[in-house]
Amino acid sequence: MRMNWVVLGAIILLIVENSVMPWIVPPGWSERLLPHLCFIMTLFVAGFGGRHPAFLCGLGFGLLQDLLSYGHLIGPYGFGMGLIGYLAGLASERKGMTIGFFIWIVLVGGVLLDTVVYSIYKLFGLTDLQYAYVFYWQVAPTALLQLLIALLMYVPVRKFLVKPSLSSGEESPE
Amino acid sequence: MRNKRLFILMIGLIVFIALMGFTLGRNRLTWPEKFLNDAFGTVQGVLYRPVGAVAEFFRDLDRLSAVYKENEQFRQTVAQYTQDQIKFNLLEADNKRLQEELNFTERQKNMDNYRYLIAQVVGSTSNPYERTITINLGSRDGVKPEMAIRTVDGLVGLVSKVKNFTSTVTLITDLNPSYSKGTPVSATFLGIPESFGIIEYDDETGTLQMTKIDEKDKPIAGDKVITSGLGSLFPKGIIVGTVKSSQVGDSGLTYTAIIEPAAKFNHLREVFVVVVPEVEEP
Repeated sequence: MRMNWVVLGAIILLIVENSVMPWIVPPGWSERLLPHLCFIMTLFVAGFGGRHPAFLCGLGFGLLQDLLSYGHLIGPYGFGMGLIGYLAGLASERKGMTIGFFIWIVLVGGVLLDTVVYSIYKLFGLTDLQYAYVFYWQVAPTALLQLLIALLMYVPVRKFLVKPSLSSGEESPE
Repeated sequence: MRNKRLFILMIGLIVFIALMGFTLGRNRLTWPEKFLNDAFGTVQGVLYRPVGAVAEFFRDLDRLSAVYKENEQFRQTVAQYTQDQIKFNLLEADNKRLQEELNFTERQKNMDNYRYLIAQVVGSTSNPYERTITINLGSRDGVKPEMAIRTVDGLVGLVSKVKNFTSTVTLITDLNPSYSKGTPVSATFLGIPESFGIIEYDDETGTLQMTKIDEKDKPIAGDKVITSGLGSLFPKGIIVGTVKSSQVGDSGLTYTAIIEPAAKFNHLREVFVVVVPEVEEP
């Protein structure tokens, strides 16, 4: 992975997430579709770069995101994205990176991240919603949208961010 | 090896819980936080406004046919408004005269003279449990924590964190009296100035609720609800919304009204920061 470009890309994605995304989502769905673009980037890092870079990427950009939306507390996304980035890296190192597997990673990772964040807010008594409701209302649609965005990003990420290396057997079309 | 990994995870969990507990309900920010927020806020502003303008344009094209009808309504409203203006001027002059006669102090006279700072929204977050927006005014412009934020339509939220050039606004849909730092919005009906109720947001139905209304002030659908300024942070006289329906409250002695918020909370572009005149300490 070209880590410098990944960091730059993630910063741009974070800005897009906070300033462009709210306008693209139709008004009726604005509380349901809340895609985390930096998290998708973290999963790409996990898939192509391994678990340690993914952990650092998730931790750093999660904390940055928490800081930018700081209303009640800092930390849920930093924790969630770090942990899930690491787990996704671990899984993709075991199984190898294919697009079918990546789809599963994005779906399961998205659901897990929102679940972790929900649990933290529940733990601190900041939300009194039921999990089943949150899942139907926000987690599931968001995970599906994230999958769509991840698939759209797949080709550009492979093309521009993955270093062509012969040793790992990962060939990128250049 | 496995144990070591688990150990690190546990340590991480503890560190994060400590961090979250420490940052819970904190008001002062350190300079790195302010710097990062200001930097991102500024860059976001460059994107948010043009994108918003384009998105609004297409949305407006969509409802072009409704605009004629709306214009008609506006004309009627303006006519009504000029009528009210005359009445208002008379009442204000009267009020001033009475205040002079009763020897109000300068502070009491100025209590309701709010100043409005126009702010541009430069971003909104994708965290479902912290619905905050960022505005491009900060402590340099005189914004302080816990100032009320409104749009032309009505109350939107409360300034929660102030940086040098930007501020974070918590929407009223995120203020819940049961939270540790809860800020109940005390409200009153426009027609019945003595009435009292507390505004809460119900996550499940996505509506504002006004609870603890006295039984003699039965809410009627269509009543306008404004902030009362009694014992809360919000200055009085800001429109919150209109009553949609009402029911008997939990204890049976009070009413609960479902309120349609006057302001829309998504796709915000310009908001006003309400600056209440300072109380001079003697």
